[in-house]
Amino acid sequence: MIEFILNGKVVQTDDEPDTPLLWVVRDTFKLTGSKFGCGIAKCGACTMHIDGSAQQTCVLPITAVAGKTVTTIEGLGTPDNLHPLQQAWVEQGVPQCGYCQSGQIMSAASLLTDNPNPNEAQLEAAMERNICRCGCYPRIKQAILSVAEQGQSGAVQLATPVAAKAPEGIQS
Amino acid sequence: MSAIKLSRRGFLKATGLIGGGLLIGYVATPDGNSPAVIPGDGAMAPNAFIQLTQDNQIIFYSPRDEMGQGISMGLATLVAEELDVPVDKIQVEFASVHDDYRHPEYWVQGTGGSSSMRVHYLPLRQVAADTRALLLTAAAMDLGVAAESLSTEHGYILSNGTGHRYSDFIATAQTLELPSETPLKAKADFKYIGKDMTRIDALAKSTGTAIFGMDIAVPDMYYAMVSRSPVAGGTVNNLDDSAARAMSGVTDIVRIDSGVAVVATSFWKAKKAVAALNIIWDQPDLANFSNGDIRADYQSALESDRGTTETEGSITEGLSKASMQVRRDYWTPYLAHTPMEPVNAVVKISDGKAELWAGTQSPGVARGLVARHSGLSVDNITVNSLFSGGGFGRRAQLSHIAEATQVAVATNKTIKLVWTRENDLQNGWFRQASIMQLHAGIDAEGKVTAWDATRVGGDLAPDTLAGVLPGELPRTPKLLNDLMLSATENLYDGWLIDSGGVEGLVSDYDFPNKQLRHISVNHGLPLAAWRSVGHSFTAFAKETLMDELAEMAGLNSFEFRRRNLQNNPRLLGVLEAVEQGLKQWDIPAGHHIGISTHGSFQSFVAQAAEVSIQGSKIRVHRVLCAIDCGAVINPDIVRAQIEGGIMYGLTAALYGDIEIENGAVKQSNFHDYKILRINEAPAVDVLIVETEQAPSGVGEPGLPLIAPAVANAVYQATGQRLYSMPLTLA
Repeated sequence: MIEFILNGKVVQTDDEPDTPLLWVVRDTFKLTGSKFGCGIAKCGACTMHIDGSAQQTCVLPITAVAGKTVTTIEGLGTPDNLHPLQQAWVEQGVPQCGYCQSGQIMSAASLLTDNPNPNEAQLEAAMERNICRCGCYPRIKQAILSVAEQGQSGAVQLATPVAAKAPEGIQS
Repeated sequence: MSAIKLSRRGFLKATGLIGGGLLIGYVATPDGNSPAVIPGDGAMAPNAFIQLTQDNQIIFYSPRDEMGQGISMGLATLVAEELDVPVDKIQVEFASVHDDYRHPEYWVQGTGGSSSMRVHYLPLRQVAADTRALLLTAAAMDLGVAAESLSTEHGYILSNGTGHRYSDFIATAQTLELPSETPLKAKADFKYIGKDMTRIDALAKSTGTAIFGMDIAVPDMYYAMVSRSPVAGGTVNNLDDSAARAMSGVTDIVRIDSGVAVVATSFWKAKKAVAALNIIWDQPDLANFSNGDIRADYQSALESDRGTTETEGSITEGLSKASMQVRRDYWTPYLAHTPMEPVNAVVKISDGKAELWAGTQSPGVARGLVARHSGLSVDNITVNSLFSGGGFGRRAQLSHIAEATQVAVATNKTIKLVWTRENDLQNGWFRQASIMQLHAGIDAEGKVTAWDATRVGGDLAPDTLAGVLPGELPRTPKLLNDLMLSATENLYDGWLIDSGGVEGLVSDYDFPNKQLRHISVNHGLPLAAWRSVGHSFTAFAKETLMDELAEMAGLNSFEFRRRNLQNNPRLLGVLEAVEQGLKQWDIPAGHHIGISTHGSFQSFVAQAAEVSIQGSKIRVHRVLCAIDCGAVINPDIVRAQIEGGIMYGLTAALYGDIEIENGAVKQSNFHDYKILRINEAPAVDVLIVETEQAPSGVGEPGLPLIAPAVANAVYQATGQRLYSMPLTLA
């Protein structure tokens, strides 16, 4: 039994220990916003926040997040309560097919948490782990910079569900 | 309009599948003539595309598939305009499979060829205008006023300053015949067409709530994954599945046409078990070929006298008028599509009925494939079309739906069959590889006098047909299908030229003498249309040679093209738009500009790329692109498609290379099949040159020009002419 915090709620799973977090979140906890794209941590469609930092989860065994906080796109914001980045994504018309965008937004949110006002090189360094086959890159850049310029980056932390402290003694 | 049957039975047969008029099932009866949409209680569906519910919700059934190109938004905008309802008040549903939704120009219900807006622009507006006229007539009767005294605004009918909901008049409207040929709005009256508007799917796609095939979960569903021959067309010689069978969560291991399927309780368990299969394959002829052999075969075909030739004018005469001539050979490799969402399908079969969930470019064929492999009639099959996580041509090939159905039948389980990225790269369909040879002459005025083109490579058409036939004709025995297919292959070998291999190679310019020779050489690697199809490689050869000829003629790249575009005013128009636009650019030292111009999918495009060389690396900083795609429905979506086409084309220009080793694809995932990333992505400026023409393609036409524009800029930077893709500096 492995326990962790998923979008603010303590959850437990008896999935096999080597099961990647992505599939536990998708299949066991039925949150399908995070996507399967490559299975080797090379495309970023599966990006979630682990203890607040963006991480690719398609090769991350579930044991690695025991006792940690996991935030998915569903925990970042909802259609009724958009994170500023999601708002910018809609306004700038970023998504085309949309399949990679959850991962893109999670990477961008982590970037702005660490660096609320990134320059272009810093933005590219943080976002180059995410592939978009539709080629939305110019708009992704524009959307992130627009949020940074409006000084909304601070809202990232507010909009992220406050994760409860991990219970004592959680083991894989 | 011929594909649209304006059946009255739609609402006369209303059965109220779900109360409140909200939705809505699709019911197909064995005679095949049932209406496409059965409206809910108190609702009306005067045609296959629009339903107005009792509580005033307007539902638009999009006949084309959404794979990111924004067509559901674009088509909804047409309906909104003529119904006079804001686009965001319209609920878009993906249509079921029905004759009414067949592509008006293709045989099938499919999406591709950058054609959707072009073929639906007038017909969809017409059904919406007719529907609005019907409602106005009903309102006039109910309100006891003259129809001419009524107007519409924002989704309401206005009478003497009072607003009424459209749905107030459903009962009376249902007693009336739907009018036809209602006059359409004039351009000056457009409220939504031509305006930048936020895509209706942007919210769902920014919050993780858009549902793709990969996201479908139905009760008692099992995952299936398939081990397929590493060489396309191979069959199982020997299977040892003992290790896999012993693994946790594995419920079934079955042989299907394409290989061996493992069924398990989760994705992860299926993935681990499929890796534990031990299979010896019987390999087809393709196993004898590697990239070098294929290229050598093309080269020897090129040097032979084989091929099918079409000529306009006389090359001999053209060359005799030339003061200079040049002959060049070009190589373009096989490519994979790699949509972000690997293909997948959920198939459920129970009680003599089947249901499919999948995002495809061809739901009609998908339904037929489920029918063929389940033995059920198409009338007992429901197709749930979903968002596609990228198409690019890959989702027009639907073997995964045949696989899912075969596994569902063999195991008597509801199956979600998923391809991994490795499957996508190694077991899929590919853009054809080519050798092209161009031989051109120019005269002293810088006019091309002769243009002699040859293309050698595989034929797309037979593989396209092989993908369509089994689903479109689900009752035809396999043997008969195979006979039809081999007849088609023979047709292309010496009789017909496969347009998907040559389109764009001899076009656009005023070539007074031109010749096209095609030599089919097929090795058996499965081929599929890849975003912009033949243009994806022909533009590279044509436009890099035009640049070389410009230099020989002592003219700049714009002027040389201008002299040869006297009969193509729309292409000249975009070329000059780029020429003017570039004047606003401040080009840093060490940066160089290359240009290209190319027409495809009935649109006209010109591009300039700003490039620098960093070590051995080609860096593309900025792209300027002008497009004339006729009437523009949503300028922001046009810009997005051009941006996306450029990025897709730039991946191919800089990195794309599927290599064959003993018949198998060498690349396996994104670590060795490199995709352009954000740090390599240029800024893109799009100039829309709007003309009074009918709308034409935007999804593909931006793509073909980027490789030649970059190659031409590389020449400016280095003096190296590049004749192969991916572009690699010596």
